[in-house]
Amino acid sequence: MSDFIAQFVGVGHQYKKGAEIFKGATFNIEPGSFHFLTGPSGSGKSSLLKMLYLGLKPTWGSIRLFGEDPLTMKPSLLPLLRQQVGVVFQEFKLLDHLKVIDNVSLPLRVRGIEAKRSYRDARELLNWVGLGDSLQAYPATLSGGQQQRVAIARAVITRPQLLLADEPTGNVDDDMAIKLLHLFEELNKMGTAIVIATHNQRLLERSPYPHLTIRRGTIIRTPKRSKP
Amino acid sequence: MNNSQDLPLKNDIAARFLPLIIGLMVYVGTLCFVFTLFILSATHLWENQLRTQITLEVPASPGASSAPLQAQVLQVLSKTPGIQQASAVPKKEVETLLQSLLGTTLPVDLQFLPVLIEVSLNGREPIDIPMLEARLKIISPQIQLIDHRPWQVQVSSLINASVVLASTLTFLVLLTALVTTTFATRTSLLIHRQVVEVLHLIGATNEYIAKQFQVHALKQGLIASAIGAAFAFLTFIGIAALLEKAGLPSTSLSSFSIQAFCVFALSPFVTGGFMMLSARLTVMRGLRP
Repeated sequence: MSDFIAQFVGVGHQYKKGAEIFKGATFNIEPGSFHFLTGPSGSGKSSLLKMLYLGLKPTWGSIRLFGEDPLTMKPSLLPLLRQQVGVVFQEFKLLDHLKVIDNVSLPLRVRGIEAKRSYRDARELLNWVGLGDSLQAYPATLSGGQQQRVAIARAVITRPQLLLADEPTGNVDDDMAIKLLHLFEELNKMGTAIVIATHNQRLLERSPYPHLTIRRGTIIRTPKRSKP
Repeated sequence: MNNSQDLPLKNDIAARFLPLIIGLMVYVGTLCFVFTLFILSATHLWENQLRTQITLEVPASPGASSAPLQAQVLQVLSKTPGIQQASAVPKKEVETLLQSLLGTTLPVDLQFLPVLIEVSLNGREPIDIPMLEARLKIISPQIQLIDHRPWQVQVSSLINASVVLASTLTFLVLLTALVTTTFATRTSLLIHRQVVEVLHLIGATNEYIAKQFQVHALKQGLIASAIGAAFAFLTFIGIAALLEKAGLPSTSLSSFSIQAFCVFALSPFVTGGFMMLSARLTVMRGLRP
């Protein structure tokens, strides 16, 4: 069993149209760690997260997730790896035909957890993120910020071993951004490794966590700072 | 609590026509199948009678009794291996038969008509028909032996051909229903690929996604085919009433109705089951990397 949640060795990706986004990314994500993923727009932050949640295959290099090589393992086992990862997508990817509570409880239902418990957990979490009165609403009727909170609730409800968030504070005000960061920190204290891709300078400045910065196709790791 | 499906299959434009097609297919398919069974059941009894019976016509001599000739014939028959029983058809029965065919007003003098002897074969021993005929001709060259078996074979072949045709039609109807389900499921999978992608990304297995489709297909199949089968049952009842009116014995029809009812009652479950299986296989194949 590997000591790392994720290991990237010399990973690179080139899209079919020719754009090369990494030249050889090498880094590890340890259990219980907290990282910010930064870099200029178009540097490949979202692509890197996609590789972490198995939504994109690298063109070269090797990836190990939870000690397994997802590129060579049986496709039927991939969902077991994905079930250990929670993802907050940049474009939320909420299911418009489902009510907020159904969206949030979905990851639990997918894992075979009984509906009663799934809905109870979803209700609690939605109350916590301030959406207790929108349980029966459809995502399309919510604001961008509210949808983002629903997406976050859906990602964290299973208490995943690894949480990936792509610009999770992009559509919320600073107060809510701090509150959401607090949620991520709480989850991190319970042992979840967190990787947050963000541009939010205020968030980056006030947080002591190490940065993984994508610069010119490589990843530079900035060590942990003392809390301001 | 909301028990909605994770995939919005209910509002699928691609599958909206499916219940109508399935209902229609089940209507045609079950009727075909039931009438195939009906033909088989009706002809089975009739075939058995023909296979084990021959008829003799013993000529009547005007002014003289045919009783001695009959006695001689019956004696020959009693000594012939393979014959279970032989008896003359009573004159009264022949009279009733003729009256039903020719009407009561037509004067028929029964004494000029040949005596009919019905011979039942035991079916265990083979009977040598040419030999029997030769022995009967010695008694009287005018004795006619009517063996129904040669033309019964031809009629049987015709019936078997109709049964094969009806069964093929039933099979084709079922196949069409399955192919339609497959195409509808495939289209649905394509329409909802983004939802499927999200489900995959949050850890759903292919089986979980396939279950959504198969449950939907089962529900659609059960409802549509129940409606189709109900209409087919009503049609069958109507046709059966017409057949009874046309002179088909009501006993054979009523005993057959239980079988027919079972077919109509089971067809929604069979169709629903096949549709469910078809949807599952289509989705599992469609999601294969």
